[in-house]
Amino acid sequence: MLCFALAVAVPVITPNPYYIHLVETIMIYSILLFGLDIVVGYTGQVSLGHAGLFGIGAYTTGVLLTKLGLSFWLAVPFSVLVTAVFGAILAMPALKVSGPYLAMVTLAFGTIIQILINEMTFVTEGPMGIKLNKPEIFNIKLNEEQFYWLVCVFLALSLIVVHRILKSHLGRAFEALRGSPVASDCMGVSVYRYKVYAFVISAGLAGLAGSLYAYSEQYISPNTYNFELTVLFLLAIIMGGRKTRSGAIIGATIIVLLPKLLDDIELFQWISTLLAVGICLSAVIAVVKKWTSVQSTLTPVIGTVCLSLFSFQLESITDWRLSIFGLMILFVVYYLQDGIVGFVVKLKSFTKPAEENNAQVLHTTSTSEWSTARSLHSSGSDSGELILEASSILMQFGGLKAINQVDLRVQQGHIHGLIGPNGSGKSTMMNVLTGIYTPTQGQIKFKNSSIIGQTSSSIALSGIARTFQNVQLFGEMTVLQNVLVGLHHSFKSSFLDVCFNTKRYQLEDHVANEQAHSLLNFVGLGALHNELARNLPYGKQRLLEIARALALDPALLLLDEPAAGLTAPDIVELTQIIQKIRDHGVTLILIEHHMDLVMSICDTVSVLDFGQKIAEGKPLQVQADPKVVEAYLGGSSPAIA
Amino acid sequence: MEILLQLVYSGIALGMIYAVIAFGYQLTFATSDTLNFGQGEALMLGALVGLTLVDTMGVNYWVAVPIVCLFGFIQGAFVERVGVRPAIKIKSEFGWIMSTIALGIIFKNVAENIWGRDDLRFPSPLDESPLKVLGANVLPMELLVIAGAILMMLAVEFFNRKTIYGKAVVATFNDRDAAKLMGINTGLVITFSYALSSLTAAFAGILIAPLTLTGATMGSVLGLKAFAVAIIGGLTSGLGIVVGGILLGIAETTTGFYISTGYKDVPGLVLLLLVLAVRPAGLFGKTAIKKV
Repeated sequence: MLCFALAVAVPVITPNPYYIHLVETIMIYSILLFGLDIVVGYTGQVSLGHAGLFGIGAYTTGVLLTKLGLSFWLAVPFSVLVTAVFGAILAMPALKVSGPYLAMVTLAFGTIIQILINEMTFVTEGPMGIKLNKPEIFNIKLNEEQFYWLVCVFLALSLIVVHRILKSHLGRAFEALRGSPVASDCMGVSVYRYKVYAFVISAGLAGLAGSLYAYSEQYISPNTYNFELTVLFLLAIIMGGRKTRSGAIIGATIIVLLPKLLDDIELFQWISTLLAVGICLSAVIAVVKKWTSVQSTLTPVIGTVCLSLFSFQLESITDWRLSIFGLMILFVVYYLQDGIVGFVVKLKSFTKPAEENNAQVLHTTSTSEWSTARSLHSSGSDSGELILEASSILMQFGGLKAINQVDLRVQQGHIHGLIGPNGSGKSTMMNVLTGIYTPTQGQIKFKNSSIIGQTSSSIALSGIARTFQNVQLFGEMTVLQNVLVGLHHSFKSSFLDVCFNTKRYQLEDHVANEQAHSLLNFVGLGALHNELARNLPYGKQRLLEIARALALDPALLLLDEPAAGLTAPDIVELTQIIQKIRDHGVTLILIEHHMDLVMSICDTVSVLDFGQKIAEGKPLQVQADPKVVEAYLGGSSPAIA
Repeated sequence: MEILLQLVYSGIALGMIYAVIAFGYQLTFATSDTLNFGQGEALMLGALVGLTLVDTMGVNYWVAVPIVCLFGFIQGAFVERVGVRPAIKIKSEFGWIMSTIALGIIFKNVAENIWGRDDLRFPSPLDESPLKVLGANVLPMELLVIAGAILMMLAVEFFNRKTIYGKAVVATFNDRDAAKLMGINTGLVITFSYALSSLTAAFAGILIAPLTLTGATMGSVLGLKAFAVAIIGGLTSGLGIVVGGILLGIAETTTGFYISTGYKDVPGLVLLLLVLAVRPAGLFGKTAIKKV
C-alpha cells in the first residue's frame, strides 16, 4: 500500500519525464507479471509465450488506433479481449501437456507471433513499427503525467481483481492443479478447464499491459516482443517471489531498472565486488558455524569472485547484459527459490514464530461437527438398493490384464471391502471407477446411470469421491484450503462475482469456510487448519484426504488403503471415523490390508487375485474360503495335493 | 518439377540436421527425463568454434570436426553439471527448464561478444558446383550432411547396444533407481548423455555451417524446430525423428520458396502445436500410462 502511495506521488516529487516514464513502465510490467504469476506461480507451468501475448496486446491497440481510429475506451478492452482469445488458443495444447512440453509449446507460440508481426506488413507495418499518440479521454489529449495517473488506476484495478481471483475458489483451483492434477480432477476441479481459465486471465492481463505499453511508448516494433523479454518476465517473477503481488512489483522494478544500472560500468564493478565480498564472508561464516559444507559454498563463491574479476576486464557492460540476466536466473533458481519476498517472509518467521500459533487457536472455537446434506436424501432411499454396479470390467495394459472380467456390486449404505494381495488389481479398480482409466470393456453404473467415458471431474461431481494410496494432497496449500478445494463444487459464483466481490460470493465463501471447519473437526484436524498440508505427519495427511473427499459431499466414498502406515491408536480412531461416515449415509468402498479392520467393519468383502474376483460375501465367509487363504498364504490347492 | 525436386533434396539435408539435434534431445530425455533448452546454442557454438578453427587458425575441415565434437562433449558436460544436476537433486522441473534456458542465453550472449552479431560465411570443404541427381541440382555438401547425420546416429546407437557403457545408459533409461542399485553411477551416465547430446549438436553445427550462414543467433530457432521434430517423431523413437525431420525439412524449403522465406519457420512451429494438441506422444511414440 505504501509502495503504491509512493508510486502515485512520483510525478509530484519529480517532474522529470524520464523518471515518470520509468515508473510507468514498471507499473505496466507489473500488470503483466500479475498475470504471468497466475500461470507460473499458481498453476506451476512455465510459459515462454508471454512476450508474444504482450505483443498481441500492443499491436491490437496499435492497429485499431491507426487503421480504424478507435478511441481509447474501445481499443483497450478490445486488446484485452483479443489477447485473451489468443491465450485460449495457447492453452489448447496445454490441455494435453505440461512441464517442458508446455514450455516448448509456449516458446513456439511466442516465436510464431513474432514472425507474424514481422511478416504481416499489411496489418502491422512489419519491421517499420507503428507510431501512435497518447490517448484522448473526454476530448482531452493526455500528457505524460496524466497518462501516468491513468496507468496507476489500471494497476490498482488489476491488483484488486487479481487479488480477489486468487484468494477465491478460482485461485485455489489453480493452485490445486499444481499440487496434484489427479487429485484436482477427483475433487471435481477439472484440470483442463482451469488450465484454460488460468491462461485466459493471464493473457487478458498481458493484453492490458501491452495496450498500455503501446500508448506509453508511442511506438511499437516487432523486435521488442522477443525471447529475451519473455525470459526477463520469468526472471522477474521468480526473483521477486512467486504467488505474491508485491513480488511481481519488485520483479518488475528489477527488470526495468537493471538495464539502466548496467549502463554504468563503474557501478557494476562496485556491485559485483561487494557481492563477491558478501558471499565470501557469509560462506566463511556458514562453514565455520557448520551450517553448510565447503563444497556447497564453493560454486557461489567462485562464481561471484570470477564475476567481479571479469567486470574489471570489461570496457562496457551493455553487451553482456543478457549474460548477467542468465547468471541471475541461475542464482535465483538455486539459491533464492522463493524469491526476494519469500526470503523476507522466511526471515520474519524466524524472528517471531509466536504470532502464528495465536492465530491458530482463534479459529478452533467453531466446534460444530460436519453434517451432510446428503444424509437427508439418502435416508429416503432404502438401504439394500445397489448404488454402484460394475459388470465384467476388463482393463488391459498392452498384453497385461490388470482386471479381468470383474463384477462389483455395492449396496447403498454398506461398507464394501476390497481386498487381495499386492498387484491383484485393487487400485486399478479404483482408477477405473473414478474415470482415471477408461476400461477396455465392461459397464459401470452409478445410481443407475452409466459413467463409462466420463471425465474424472464429472464422475467426482456426480458423487464419487476418493482418497489415494500414495497420498495426493495439495502440499503447498494449508489444511483448510485443501478441504476448500473439495468444496469447490459448492461455489456457483462466476468470475464476475469474484471480481466485484458480490454478496453471493461472500455468502458462498462464508458457508464453505464453515463447512470446511466442521469437516476438519470431524476428522480431528480442526486445530491444524492453518498448517501447510505437506508439514502434517503421515497419519494426519490420510485423515485430511478423507476430509477433503467428504467435502465433495459424496454418495460413494472410495478409501484406498487409509490405514497404511498408521499406528494402532490411529487405526482405532480411523475405524470410528469410517463408521461415522457410514452413519451419515455415505456408502464406502474400502481397500485395506489390515484384516482386522476390514473384517470388523465391512458389510461385504470382495477378494481380487491376479485381476480376477475369487471370492465375495460376508467377512466371515470370505475368511474361511480356501481360495482366499491360498491367495494370501500360497500353497497348492488340495485337488493337486 | 525440377525445382520441386531440388527443394526436396535440400529439405532432406536440412531435415537430417533436425533429426540429429532431435536425437540429442532423445539422449538426455532417455536418461534423466530432462531436455537441454540450450541445444540450439550447442549447435551454434559448434559451428562458430569450427569457423574459428578453419578460417582463422587454418585447420583442415576434416581435422576440425573431431575437435568440435570434443568441444561439444565438454560443453554438454558443463551444462549438466551446472544447470541440470542441482535441479535433479532438488527434483525441480522448473529448475532445470530455467537453468538450461539461462545457460543458453549466456552462451548466445558470449558468442555475440566473441564472434560479433553478424552472420559469417563458412568456407565449404567440398566442391561447390552442384551435381545432377535425377535432373535436379544437389550440392556435394548436402550429401555430406545426410551421410554424416546418419553415421552419427548409427554410431551412438551402436554404442548403446553393443558396449557395456551403452548398456549402462540403456539401464538408466529403463529404471534410474534400479540402475543405481546395480552399481551404475547414474549421475555419471546422465552427465555423459548430456555430453553426447551436445556433441551431436556441435557435430550438426559444423556439418550445416557451410550450407548456411553461421552466427550467434542461428541456434535458437533450429533448436526449437528440432524439438518439434523430436515431438513429431516421439521422444522414444529413432526412426520417428528421421521421418519427422525430413517431413519438416521439406515443408520448410517448399514454404520458403513458394510463399515467403519470412514464413519458413512457421510450418514447423504450427506442426509442433498441432501434434502436442492432438497426440502428445508423437506419431511414432508410445503413449505412457500414468500411474496413480
